[in-house]
Amino acid sequence: MVDTTEKIKTESSADDLQRLENALDFSYTMRTFNLNKNNLRIKTQNLLSYSTAGGSFTVNQSLISFMNFVVSSGKTEISLLDKNDIPIHIENTEKFLDEISSLYFEVVNDYYNEYQKLRSSRKIEKVLEI
Amino acid sequence: MSRGIIIFAQNNEYVNYAETACACAGYARKNLSLFDEICLITNTETLESNETLINEYFDRVIVSSIFQPDNVRLFKDTTDKLEYAPFKNMGRSEVYELSPYAETLLIDSDYFIMNDVLDQVWDSENDVMINCKYRDVSERHKENIEYIDNFSIPMYWATVVYFRKSDFAENLFTLISHIKYNYKYYYYLYNCSGNLFRNDFAFSMALHILNGSVAFDVPSLPIDYLNNSFDLDDIFRVNSHNDIIMYCADAERVTNHLLSRFTNMDLHIMNKKAIGRFIDDFLSNGEKV
Repeated sequence: MVDTTEKIKTESSADDLQRLENALDFSYTMRTFNLNKNNLRIKTQNLLSYSTAGGSFTVNQSLISFMNFVVSSGKTEISLLDKNDIPIHIENTEKFLDEISSLYFEVVNDYYNEYQKLRSSRKIEKVLEI
Repeated sequence: MSRGIIIFAQNNEYVNYAETACACAGYARKNLSLFDEICLITNTETLESNETLINEYFDRVIVSSIFQPDNVRLFKDTTDKLEYAPFKNMGRSEVYELSPYAETLLIDSDYFIMNDVLDQVWDSENDVMINCKYRDVSERHKENIEYIDNFSIPMYWATVVYFRKSDFAENLFTLISHIKYNYKYYYYLYNCSGNLFRNDFAFSMALHILNGSVAFDVPSLPIDYLNNSFDLDDIFRVNSHNDIIMYCADAERVTNHLLSRFTNMDLHIMNKKAIGRFIDDFLSNGEKV
């Protein structure tokens, strides 16, 4: 019968050590990438803010869908809760929908481009243009 | 309706806050457009030693000799250098009286505005807006709400505060001033940690009292989080008025740093010495009066 149990290595070869070092280096690179990725995400969240009539709104897909429903239902003005749950009167729903949609597309498109740049490069120096 | 941005700066032997405030004002002017003036509140000594620079970056200067008792804090410049120096941060409670504006955006002298989101504060329905949530740009602090103590109230960050002249704001600043002069009492009442007088604590306590000493929500600023770069981080390069590359202290080992680039995103850079090392870059990328 063949013994398939792998022998435990008691000594590491230079090759093993090099591979381990590479892996640890890569983990460091990954931490840098993840940090930059998260900072991009937070920047996008901050930029997806729209204020009008004294209220402040977080622009997301739900708000856009809801406003689309409002406009399609023929309502030209409504009261809406802002991000601080303050009721805000929107006098021109169509204009509001146009502006939040434009903001959303612009900000998320920038996020997409920067994200692609980040994930397509293995060299952080290149991404950060150092 | 007048709208003004106010920055406080009083130099100590460790930091030239006037220079930092000028850099901060330059960034605010470059990235925001819906305000009328940027105003510095300072003391005579700070003004005299930096007058030319201050006049280049500020529309208005208010000299105030506000009571500044001893308040010594530890300043860190990454993990390499630590130094104790007087921290003259007691003037903020008087800002309501001192502000000549109907609407005021109060910012710290180390808060760098790099997009136009804060332009959305003007003409708000809210009398006061302040953030409770924060984010550590290096991701060492995972939680996004800090408490004055584990058994106390949530902490509001006095780094950026919007207020309009109103009963609520007037009462808030009256309470902050009262807390400042009776800090020891409130320090024990609210189970604070650390000995330093912190405006964040005074604002949080005053908001708590003003809201009936029960759980409360205060309207937040249009920016969802304060993006804090703590003093273990450093600056790698200042590229432009909306682009800075930072050395972020690694969560696993703070003596190691990870590079991260911040574009179009406000940054609260707490490492004052790092700002000082790049002050020429900050000043040249900002906009003068």
